[in-house]
Order: sequence, then C-alpha cells, then structure tokens
Amino acid sequence: MVLTARLMTDSEDTKTFFSREIEENMDALYGTALRLSGTGADAEDLVAETVSKAWTAIASLEDRRRFRPWIFRILHNCFISNYRREAVRPRESVYEEDDDGGLVALLNAQPDDFLVWWANPERQYFNNMLGSAIMAAIDGLPDAFRTTIILINVEGLTYDEAAEALGVPPGTIRSRMKRGRTMLQKALWEQAREAGIAATTHNSRHET
Amino acid sequence: MSSDKESHSHDDIGCLEAIEAFYAYLDGELSDPQAIEDFEHHMSHCRSCFSRSEVEKLLNERMRESGTSKAPDDLRSRVRRLMDEF
Repeated sequence: MVLTARLMTDSEDTKTFFSREIEENMDALYGTALRLSGTGADAEDLVAETVSKAWTAIASLEDRRRFRPWIFRILHNCFISNYRREAVRPRESVYEEDDDGGLVALLNAQPDDFLVWWANPERQYFNNMLGSAIMAAIDGLPDAFRTTIILINVEGLTYDEAAEALGVPPGTIRSRMKRGRTMLQKALWEQAREAGIAATTHNSRHET
Repeated sequence: MSSDKESHSHDDIGCLEAIEAFYAYLDGELSDPQAIEDFEHHMSHCRSCFSRSEVEKLLNERMRESGTSKAPDDLRSRVRRLMDEF
C-alpha cells in the first residue's frame, strides 16, 4: 500500500523515467531478444511483453541506477517462460554450466588439434571471418553461455549487471565467460576446419 | 614460465594463471591492481599469450560490431503506444 501510494503521487516522474530508459535501451533489448528468440517477429513480441511486465513491476526497481540489469532480467525471464521450450537449441553439453573447475581443466579435456589452434590463433582468419559466422557460432552455444556472452560482449553489460540480469552470483558469470568463450573458440575452430583453414594451419605448424 | 619473483615488484605468473584471468582482464573486470600488473607483465613477455589476447580482443570487437541490432521503427512505435496506455 505504501509503495502504491508513493508511485501514485510520483506517477508522472516514474513514467517519464521509465519511458526514457526504455527508449535508451530499446536497441539493446531488441538485439538481445533477437539473439534469444531467433526471429524478428518473436523478438518484437518479447520486447513488448518485457515493457508491459516491467511497468507492472516498476515498484520492484529499488535503485533506478540498476534499471539496465533489472530490465534485462525481466526480458530474460519472459524469454524463458515463453520461448525456451519451443526453441530448438543444443540442450546437452559436455560442459557443466557453473562448474568452475578452471579453464586449464577445461582445455585439458579438448582435442589436441583444437589446442594447437587455441594456442596459435590465426589473426588473419578472425579478421576475415564474417560477422554472421561469429554470431552463428554464438547462437549455437548452450543457453546459459550464449546469453552471458550476448549480454557482456555484445550489449556491454558489466559482469555485475549480467549477474543481476540472469539471477546468478558474479562468480558464475566469470566461470561462464571462461567456459563460454572457450566453447566459442571451439565452434569457430570447427568452422575453420570445415573450411579447410584449421587443417592447413595445423599441418604448416608441424612442418616448421 | 619464469619463477624469478625476487627481481620484480610483481609476481611472475605463468601461462596457466594468465589464462585463468584472461577474460576478466579483457572485459575490464579484473579489479585487483596486483593481479592486473601480474597479468600485464606476463603479456609483455609471453608471445603466445599476447597473441591469444590480441585475437580475443579482435573477437570482442567483431562481436560488438556484428551482434548489435537496431530496433525496427515499427517496434518503437508499438512500444510508445503501449507506454501511452500506462
């Protein structure tokens, strides 16, 4: 009751604040929704639903400076409840999502060919790689890692903001970044191998 | 991997420790000044890790360029109409 009364007397100010923040974050919300849901139409519906739910829940935003992680959390929750069950995405992973056994242990479990690539990256290959190919590799990651990488590396959230948005401890975000980025490298390596680039790199290194 | 700790004000961390700090550093999330100094020192003399970090930085740039999207005008209009009803 107290919160409702406060919001009613402060409604114009709250609405102005809310509208401005939504406008400022619209591209990031849409971009994230697009990567999560996979189609423009679904992304638009997801953003619209997020805005509606966010306004309904505006009283739960205790610190206005935390609007960004707060709105992304609502977006993510909407996605999980509405779209995730329908999406066709890799569910099984040999990687334990939040197991921070260390990157070294993770790398030790990888094939030698990949480790050669990982340790001797071809800058030119990354320079020439199509942006769409990079994003396709991200889209193929398991949800937890995909979402974390999108929020941090594409939309520019801090680790703390991403932790708040995804409802996990900051340590989990660190772990997901290490594991997710390694998985991304592996996906890019597989693309390069299919294109015959990684194999060439491997052979040439053995010859020298 | 050097172990000559006494000749430097920083610890000479090895590749394994550097790898663990890799993404936190590149994402600007490594806050401990000593850890930053140790990491940067390692990068300054380890060609392999430096080379990896350059590629990861490049990948960060490419992800930012390629992954960001502009909200369609239709969506902006739809959301504005929605907010007008609040």
